Amino acid sequence: MLIALDDVSKQYPNGTEALRDIDLRIDAGEFVFIVGSSGAGKSTLNRLLIREELPSSGSVVIDGTDVVRMKRSQVPFLRRKIGVVFQDFKLLPNKTVAENVAFALIVTDHPARAVREETERALALVNLTQRRTHFPRELSGGEQQRTAIARALVNRPRILIADEPTGNLDPVTTWEIIKLLIRVRELGTTLLISTHNAEIVNALRQRVLHLDHGAIVRDERQGRYAA
Amino acid sequence: MRRIGYVVAAAWQGFWRNPVMSVASTLTVAVMLLLFAFFVMTDRGLQAAVGILESKVELVVYLEDDAKPTDVLELRRRIENDPAVEAVAYISKEQALERLKEIARRRPELALEDVTTNPLPNSLEVKLASAQETRRVSGMLREEVGKGVIYDLVDNPTVVDKLLTITRVLSIGGLAVLGMMLFVALFVIVNTIRIAVHARRDEIEIMKLVGATDWFVRWPFIVEGMLVGVFGAIVALAAIAAVAGPVASSLVGFLDIVPVSLGPNFIAQLAAGLIGFALLVGGAGATFSVRTHLAK
Repeated sequence: MLIALDDVSKQYPNGTEALRDIDLRIDAGEFVFIVGSSGAGKSTLNRLLIREELPSSGSVVIDGTDVVRMKRSQVPFLRRKIGVVFQDFKLLPNKTVAENVAFALIVTDHPARAVREETERALALVNLTQRRTHFPRELSGGEQQRTAIARALVNRPRILIADEPTGNLDPVTTWEIIKLLIRVRELGTTLLISTHNAEIVNALRQRVLHLDHGAIVRDERQGRYAA
Repeated sequence: MRRIGYVVAAAWQGFWRNPVMSVASTLTVAVMLLLFAFFVMTDRGLQAAVGILESKVELVVYLEDDAKPTDVLELRRRIENDPAVEAVAYISKEQALERLKEIARRRPELALEDVTTNPLPNSLEVKLASAQETRRVSGMLREEVGKGVIYDLVDNPTVVDKLLTITRVLSIGGLAVLGMMLFVALFVIVNTIRIAVHARRDEIEIMKLVGATDWFVRWPFIVEGMLVGVFGAIVALAAIAAVAGPVASSLVGFLDIVPVSLGPNFIAQLAAGLIGFALLVGGAGATFSVRTHLAK
């Protein structure tokens, strides 16, 4: 069991009930789509996993560690186990592709040699070795998202969380990214992908978690976007 | 080493990312340190001046021409026994005249050739160990003026009194000004770092996301604050070095004494003090800024 949520609820101070009584088990190596309308609680769930938020009640355990009770000083080490990719890429505009990827290793205190080698490996994985000296503004949307994926994976995390990873991309590029994510999963990383893209979900027939008003209303092994 | 390299490089980049703000805060720190150094040096100078004047403080007791030698000896012993007195010297009429002639040789406007009799009295020159006691000892002796042995008494404690007052006022005033400057410097540093944090908020967000420890997130800013302090100290020290020579020589010309011994030892102490103080102020300001603006 890689991820275990028990009885998790989250209420924001303004009274919004973002999550209600969530029980969830995800095994290592799973490919999980999280679907649901905006405001259903997908982003809150992601934030609980990387401990950007704490649940109001319930427990969150990742890779054997109680995320709720962990010391603040341990949070960075939890986050090194979880790569995160966003709809808007969040690349640093004044750094090249290679520097954006290497940044994740440098600020987590890796020696120079490891920074070089792991950066090259990640760039090769997302097929951007040729673009390594380009700046984000010189890249297409798909290339920017591949850079972000390389950065998320360069620390060799056990889990990759993608929040609407194809939301800003055209259909062709979307498939390019999805194929890349399938390869990432084949290499052993557990994937949690929040999406509104029905076509992809329906084509891949993977596990689907459907959130509605903060509750899991559907959890299917080989699910579709809509019941 | 690796971390330190990263932190220093990031701090250096941060400093130059917003050069106007960084230079402004560096100069503010420099002005504060200059005031601090000026205050320290003035205080030292005044203390040295008080010390020199104190060592020169004397009471001169003029004796009646017809005082009996036994009474004079008795008076001398009484003065010598006072704990505030360092030394007592007997100057006869003849010795006093010799001295006067000596002075007259160097100052031709005093014509002493015509002096045939010796108008100067015998005297006791009393050297005091501490200026604070002048008033008491002179008061004690003044009571005996005109009673057969002591003809007159000359003291000059007012200069020392004034100097002591000036030193006190300068100490308090200097501390007040220094306190205000310290506040201004801290305020400017806190703001500089706040802007630096703001300029790098995207970078900080990514750092936290990929699992950088607080150490990596915070220390570049704290070191940037320390850089501001150290650069300020260097500017201040350069300014002091540039003006120290001329100021010292003009003081020598004006006061006839070297007010402070600006030896290499004192300069080294001052430099170490300024740099240490600057590091402390820069680091403290930045730490405060990081704590308030980098929460979560």
